[in-house]
Amino acid sequence: MAAAKALAAALRVIDRDPAAERDALERIAAWASQFTPMVSLEGQGILLEIESSLRLFHGHAKLASAISRGIRDIGFNATLGIAPTPLAARLFARAEAQGRAVRSCITLQELPERVGDLPLFLLDWPQKALARLTDLGLLRLRDILALANEGIARRFGPEIVLSIERLMGRVADPREPYSAPPRFRSRLELPAEAEGVEALLFPLKRLLAELEGYARGRGAGVQRLILKLEHGRKAHTRLPLEFASPEREADFILAIAREKLGRLTLPAATHALGLRADALLPYVPRSCAWLPGPREHALEGERLVERLSARLGSDRVFGIALADDHRPEKDWKKVARSNPRQKHAGADAPSHRSRRPTWLLPRPHKLITEAGLPVLQGSLELTAGPERIEAGWWDGEEVRRDYYVATNPRGETFWVYREHRDLSAWYLHGVFA
Amino acid sequence: MKATVAQLVQLPGVWRGGELEHAVHEVVATGHARLDAELPGGGWPLGTLSEVLHDGVGIGEISFLAGALARAAEGSRMIAWINATHLPYAPALAQADIPLDRCLVVRPANREDALWAAEQSLKSGACGAVLLWMERFAEEYAWLRRLQMAAESGRAMAVLFRSSAAERHSTPSHLRVVVASERGQISVRIPKRRGPPLHHFISCSGSHSNFPHSPSRSQNAPVLVSSRS
Repeated sequence: MAAAKALAAALRVIDRDPAAERDALERIAAWASQFTPMVSLEGQGILLEIESSLRLFHGHAKLASAISRGIRDIGFNATLGIAPTPLAARLFARAEAQGRAVRSCITLQELPERVGDLPLFLLDWPQKALARLTDLGLLRLRDILALANEGIARRFGPEIVLSIERLMGRVADPREPYSAPPRFRSRLELPAEAEGVEALLFPLKRLLAELEGYARGRGAGVQRLILKLEHGRKAHTRLPLEFASPEREADFILAIAREKLGRLTLPAATHALGLRADALLPYVPRSCAWLPGPREHALEGERLVERLSARLGSDRVFGIALADDHRPEKDWKKVARSNPRQKHAGADAPSHRSRRPTWLLPRPHKLITEAGLPVLQGSLELTAGPERIEAGWWDGEEVRRDYYVATNPRGETFWVYREHRDLSAWYLHGVFA
Repeated sequence: MKATVAQLVQLPGVWRGGELEHAVHEVVATGHARLDAELPGGGWPLGTLSEVLHDGVGIGEISFLAGALARAAEGSRMIAWINATHLPYAPALAQADIPLDRCLVVRPANREDALWAAEQSLKSGACGAVLLWMERFAEEYAWLRRLQMAAESGRAMAVLFRSSAAERHSTPSHLRVVVASERGQISVRIPKRRGPPLHHFISCSGSHSNFPHSPSRSQNAPVLVSSRS
C-alpha cells in the first residue's frame, strides 16, 4: 500500500467491503435463478447447473449470451465459463477474466485437452502447494495431469488429488443450491445525485430487471411493489406501485412507474433507490399470438386501464354497470376497472323497456316553464310518457316522478320529469345524444 | 410498366373523383342501410380517425353509432369514452346492446391528459372504439395526426365528437360526418370521405336496430314502475 501511494499520490483507497460483495453475489444468484433451479454461490462466483435448461433456452450459445446480457442489464460485469464440471467451469471463467480466450467445453472427453494449457494458479489451491509445484516446474494443468495420483497425494496432500478428480469429473462434486429469500429487496446507490425524475429511470430499470429475474426464477409475479427514493437527510419518498394482476416484466412496470413518478415532486435530489416486494403471487405467462384474440385483448385492456389510472388517477378511469334499483340516479353504478377479469356482479338487463337517455345529468336541472310546459331552447313537445317511477321510500331518498321524452323545435330530445308533489315544476334529467 | 386507371383505383388511397374508394379497409356496419351505402367500404372505418360534427346535444349524435359500437366491441375489445360531456348512462347503453362490461369511462382533468389517454387507448389495441369529445385546441392538426396514426396501429374505430364549427378547418381524419336533426329524424351529411363529399343530408332513421329511437315506437300509455305495489 505504501509503495502504491508513493507511486501515485492521488490514489484513493477504498476498503473492500466483503458484506457488500456477498450481497451483490446473492442478488445475482437470485436473479440467475430464472435460468435454472440449481444456482449456488461459489467463492466469488456463481454456479449454474444448465444441462437441464438447454432446451428451454435453445442451446449453450443462446443461453450464455442471454446470461451475460442480463447481468449487464442489472449493472454487473461477469465472465462466463461453460464446462461439464463445476470446478472446470470456474476455471474457464477465471481464465477469461485473465484475458485468455477459452472455448466452452461440453463433453468430459474434451476436458483434459481444454484445461491442459491453463495455469495452475487459477485453481483455489493453497499458496504453499502452488509454490512447491512451481518449484518443480509444474505450471500448467497438463503437467500435473500426467503425474500419478499417489505421488501427488503423498507430496501435496489428498485434497489436491480430490480437487483434480472433481475437476476432471471422476468424483462427484455436489453443491448446495442457493435459495433466495422469500421477499425481494434491492437497493441501488446512484453514482451521482439525481435531480428530477427522468434521471431515475435508468437505475430503476436495473432494479426492475433484477426483480424480473428473481420473479421468473419462482414462476411468480408481484402485484404490489414499493419504490423508495432516498434523499439523503430529507425524508424518503415512498411510491407504491400496484397492478391488477401479478406482473414481472421490467419494461411494463417501468412504464407504469414513469407515469407515477411524473406526477411526483421530489423534495430533494435522490441518492439511492430501493425496491421492495413482500408478496410473490403465481404469475400467468402472457402468450404472444400473431392474431390477437379475445384473451389478448382482455390482457391488453387491463394494462391500458393500469396505464391510464397511473397517470390520471384511478377515480378518473372506471367502468359502468347496471344496479338493481328503479331510480335513475341509482340504477347504474361506477365500477372499478382495476380487475376486469373478474365478472362484475351487476344487475341483469333492465326490466323496463322504455327509452333511456344516453347521457344522464349528474343532478337534475330545473327547467323554466311557459304556460305550464317546460322550455329548453324553445318549447318542449312531450313525445312519449309519462313513465311513472316511484321508489326509494325505504331509504329516505324517495323518488316519485313522471318521466317524459321531450323534443324541442331544434330536434334535440331530452328526458324530463315532474315531481308528483309539485306538478308544475319540470326537471331535465337526461339527453338522448 | 403501364398501369391502367382500373389498376390504379385498386390501390389504397386512390379513387376516382366521382366514386367511393375501392380498396378494402376494415369497417363495421352502422346498421343504417342508407348511411352504410354512402360510406366507403360499406361501414364505419376501423383503424382511422373519424369526426362526427354536430350542433346541439340530444339529436341522437351517439345513438346513430350504437350499432357500429356494439360491433367494434366484439372479441373482448373495449369502448373508451374519453372526456365525454356527461356520464354515459348504463341502462341506455344496455338497451342499445352496447356491452357495458367493455365500456371504459375516462374523465381526464385537462386536455393534455385527454389527448394522451385517447392516444394510449388507440395504440394499445385493447379498444375496439375510442370516443373522444374535444372542441378545438392548441396544435390541433399535429395531435389529430398522432391520433390518426395511433388508430391505424391499434385498428380501432376512433371517433372525435365536436361542434360543426370545426368544418371550416382541415383535418387529417379520413371521414367527417355532420349530424343534424330534421323533424326529429337524424340525418347526416358527409363533407369528407374517401370519395366525393356528400353535400346533402340523408336520413338514417327508420332502420334503427339498436336504439329504440323514433318516438312512435315508445309507449304512449303510462308505464308504472312502482316498488310500493
